[in-house]
Amino acid sequence: MMVDRRVVLQGGALGLAFVVGGREMVLSPRKARAQDIPLSTLTPAERETLESFGDVLLPGAREAGIAHFVDHQLGVSPGEALLLARLVNVAPPFVNFYRAGLKALDEAATKSHGAPFARLSEDTKIAFVDQIRQRPPDGWVGPPSPFFYYVVRNDAVDVVYGTVEGFEKLGIPYMPHIPPSAKW
Amino acid sequence: MVSTAPTRERADVLIVGGGAAALLMAAKLGAAGKRVVVLEQGPDFTLNDLISSQIWARRLKWGGTPMLLEGRHPVGFAYNAGWGVGGAALHQFGNWPRLHPEDFRMKSLHGRGADWPIDYAELRPYYDRIQEEVGLAGDALAETWRPEGAPYPMPPTRIFKHAELMAEGFHKIGIRTAPMPVAINTVERDGRAACIYDGWCEAGCPIGALANPQVTYLPVAIKAGVEIRSGCYVTRVLLDPRQQRAVGVEYYDSEGTRHEQPAKLVVLAAFVVENPRILFNSATEKHPAGLGNPNGLLGRAIMTHAGANVWAMFDEDVENHLGLSAALLMSQDGYGKESRSGAFGSYTWTIGIAQKPNDVLGFANARGALFGAALHEFMRKAARGVGKVQAVCEEIPTPENRVLLSDQKDRFGLPRARVIHNFEENAVKLFEFARDEGIRALRQTRAVDVWAGPTPNISHVAGGTPMGRDAASSITDSYGRMHTFPNLFVAGAGLFTTEGAVHPTFTVHALALRSVEHIIDRWGGLVE
Repeated sequence: MMVDRRVVLQGGALGLAFVVGGREMVLSPRKARAQDIPLSTLTPAERETLESFGDVLLPGAREAGIAHFVDHQLGVSPGEALLLARLVNVAPPFVNFYRAGLKALDEAATKSHGAPFARLSEDTKIAFVDQIRQRPPDGWVGPPSPFFYYVVRNDAVDVVYGTVEGFEKLGIPYMPHIPPSAKW
Repeated sequence: MVSTAPTRERADVLIVGGGAAALLMAAKLGAAGKRVVVLEQGPDFTLNDLISSQIWARRLKWGGTPMLLEGRHPVGFAYNAGWGVGGAALHQFGNWPRLHPEDFRMKSLHGRGADWPIDYAELRPYYDRIQEEVGLAGDALAETWRPEGAPYPMPPTRIFKHAELMAEGFHKIGIRTAPMPVAINTVERDGRAACIYDGWCEAGCPIGALANPQVTYLPVAIKAGVEIRSGCYVTRVLLDPRQQRAVGVEYYDSEGTRHEQPAKLVVLAAFVVENPRILFNSATEKHPAGLGNPNGLLGRAIMTHAGANVWAMFDEDVENHLGLSAALLMSQDGYGKESRSGAFGSYTWTIGIAQKPNDVLGFANARGALFGAALHEFMRKAARGVGKVQAVCEEIPTPENRVLLSDQKDRFGLPRARVIHNFEENAVKLFEFARDEGIRALRQTRAVDVWAGPTPNISHVAGGTPMGRDAASSITDSYGRMHTFPNLFVAGAGLFTTEGAVHPTFTVHALALRSVEHIIDRWGGLVE
């Protein structure tokens, strides 16, 4: 399936645009995941690790489309990107940061617990995340683990609580001047 | 292969950067009949681009070549800088207090940092005129610490419960509060709407209540015929054959085509890091250390503020979604430089900041160690119950904090900027003093939990091209004119000699107004 992606401005409202089979769709990350839009940058293994890590950081991030959000933003120019990584001076292309962090996470999990992160038990995942958020484990090769934790945790918060839907869950009136499209 | 476009028509004034200082100067110069060209590196934003979302708001922040940020306390450059027409002022919060008289005389009064070449009395009329032109809201009488100045043209902001509750805590430990002066309409004024207190200021204010350049000086500049080109990456200032005067700049457009834009006078208004980068990269045989750098001070003495964040969790709805990205209240009872032992410098309390869940300053990051179910639980409580105060703490400039060139190159083969920043021990002590005071204050409230951020929040970058009285100890004169080039100016927060403990945008405007009127008044002498 051919997928193109870009950030669009439609009548003053913005959305994440996926062109699938010649038809343009503006979708939230949650809907993109629900419709099984294929990722364009992250590999299936990287997606699995990111979704699993995100879901430990903030349960619900997987279904909220953390992997689709990050992957979509890795496919637009750095000057257009909406990732928090942009604000904390991660050097573009941002894919290098995510790829290195996810690889380090899996390698460290394998070294410590004998399996990539996504295949650990839930209790082990939680204990492991609590470890890496404080300091890199021995042999960690990648962006410093507390920083990687910080960035992906913020990605998870973005997709779960940073949207119109997320505000509704928290009981906060969204009160937009110019609303984002597709409740995004 | 890089192609080169034909040389364009000579401008009277070429301004590099499209932020607050640039657009103010462009508007005034255009109105004075000058042919002005503005080159902005980022995109051309309009009010319709200011989507109410902390996620989408990231497009307004730095999206250019990344800096190499080093030191124990790296500068939060990308978060603080702008990207696109409007610059950092497009996502400013609108806190607009003035510098204090003692901030201009740090060396002579306290033996620290350096003196400005002007004093407060010199800048005061420009503060007064800017607050009238732009529109400030506040209560001058309630600000017992306020330097002399005209009353604000608009009444202060509304106060919501979160600010009231936390102010009570400050009052109980003997600290006075007053409404924060803000560049936000509290009533309709000059065709601009009044604020509706939804807290989306950081995402830009499309209704024009907040004084971002899109509703202040940009429309004036456009009406005056100023040409604004976006997507233009300036690499060098070009000099005449004798290397004594600026004759224009070299830049690359978004397609990678090289251009030379000639001009009679050049203003670098591209923020604290980009201005030195361009000047360093403009080095010639006669100016081997970069333009305007015979004293080796170019890029040095950059400053930030160390922000002390303190939060309080209330077991009730404190209306924390209402208000501003700016604070509703402030206190400068801590402005006295030597009023505490072991921690020199000023700090300003900002009290009652509207809360959003996500992004760098979102309340999710108030408890960065929480994750999983505990984070959900915190988010649900904080959504209605968390309040935040922040102390803006002064950093004394030191030459070791600096911008310089790295050995890494940009896409056109020129060195990228490198920024080194460390807080000295005194700055850390001042941060800790303010943080502990904030904790004491909020513990006097009925909050069920009070805590502080473990490290300083680094904001408000300034310095690097400081103004001064002589060419030996500074980069520019008091108007931003470079000592070594009569028609090359710098504008913006890079001119600051010290930063006090106030947000910089008001002072940036006041200095830019003073500079541009000087340029207009002395035009013949500057460009001949």
